[in-house]
Amino acid sequence: MSSREPFDDGLEAELMALGDLIDVPAPPPADVAATVRARLESQPTDPVSAPDAPSPPEPVSPPDPVSPPDAVSAPDLADGPDPAHGPYNSPVRPARARRPGRRDDGRRPAKRGRRARWTIVAAVVVVVIAITAATPQGRAAVARILRFAGVELEVGESTPPPVTTTASLPGERTVSPSEARSQARFEVKVPSRLGPPQSTSVSDNGRVVSMFWPGGVRLDQFDGYIDPYFFKKAGPPYPDFVDVGPYDAWWLKGEHPLGYIAREDGTHVPLRQAAATLIWRQVAINYRLEGVRTKEEAIKIAESLQ
Amino acid sequence: MDDDEAVARSLDGDLAAYEALVARYSALAHRTAYMLGAGDEAEDVVQEAFVKAFRHLASFRRDAPFRPWLLRIVANETHNLTRSRGRRAELAVRLGATADATAPDDPEGTAVATDRRARLLVAVRGLPERERQAVVCRYFLQLSEAETAQVLDWPVGTVKSSTHRGLARLREEVGNEFA
Repeated sequence: MSSREPFDDGLEAELMALGDLIDVPAPPPADVAATVRARLESQPTDPVSAPDAPSPPEPVSPPDPVSPPDAVSAPDLADGPDPAHGPYNSPVRPARARRPGRRDDGRRPAKRGRRARWTIVAAVVVVVIAITAATPQGRAAVARILRFAGVELEVGESTPPPVTTTASLPGERTVSPSEARSQARFEVKVPSRLGPPQSTSVSDNGRVVSMFWPGGVRLDQFDGYIDPYFFKKAGPPYPDFVDVGPYDAWWLKGEHPLGYIAREDGTHVPLRQAAATLIWRQVAINYRLEGVRTKEEAIKIAESLQ
Repeated sequence: MDDDEAVARSLDGDLAAYEALVARYSALAHRTAYMLGAGDEAEDVVQEAFVKAFRHLASFRRDAPFRPWLLRIVANETHNLTRSRGRRAELAVRLGATADATAPDDPEGTAVATDRRARLLVAVRGLPERERQAVVCRYFLQLSEAETAQVLDWPVGTVKSSTHRGLARLREEVGNEFA
């Protein structure tokens, strides 16, 4: 575990926020999936036997000390068939000349029109930042809004007033561990360090799974990549940037207001005053662990997730 | 169905399972390809990468996470593309047209924030290639250092140092709003 100070000048956080504002055109995932499947079906290749992969594929094994991409001199624009040499020779491709004439190979006849469509969509787009701009405190009270691990964090210059009410997540209901597994939209994990939870709930049509342990400890796990589900408000003491194994995490050491962002219309629903919380994202699933007293213990619990 | 199960079923030839994996990672794959320099050819790159990933699924180490493994292939494909085009892989992104939600009571503040974001984006675009790739992976794609190392196929130390140098350069270029 190492601890860094991301907010010493805010640049890293600013870059993350900027990244979230950048729109990248992409066709609907289901279309991509269908196209890929069609290509695989038209050129059947059993993934196990992989006849076009003559060498044990190293293309995407964990990083080994190889030359940096800048240093790639590779004159083989035709892409030699051996993927195992050098960092950027991709996993095997049929040794045929491909670029720049690749679009002439007739594999994707319908491409042009599709691209035009997505270029247009690229001009539309993204995100709301000024949630707090209309409040009496106005902009000055909120230095910036950060998004990380499905959580939107409003960082202000002063400690925000506490939430005095308590509400539950939309559609929250208590379920058995096995029901949670079947109703969740993702693989549910449990931190072995805490043992089996006292109770488990599922909320918002399987988007959030919460587990509870004695002493006010709870773990929320939720799907979602970019759009936040929760919002938090924080002032000094500012969040701490920490590591949970290989993953980045934020530790919010103080109590703070917590709310939920409705999937359908982006409404911010206040939930309660939350205790100290560790938030992190791991393999496309987001986690928030609340109610553990120390950062060190919270990280150990987080690392025991399985 | 989690990644591991989807991979296992794909290896058994279950194309529906693989289709689910493609759908799951499609947006991220497009984002990665686009931001690493594929620009408007990201769609081709991603499609190619998914086809290749399927063909090489047998080489995927099952105890490792699928996401960086896949993104590494996407990065490879992107690199092949930009290399074949014989030009620098540029960060061809722009802020969404409506990215700057206006604050009705504070047009000036909105304009300042918009200007700063635009300058920061220009500065990222102008970084030397290594530093830009590191910054893009770490912050725009929000990958961990370990994932970045795997995706770019660099040692972790190189990721750290390139990121560090990139950040230092950006600080020089755009200053520090909150200092």
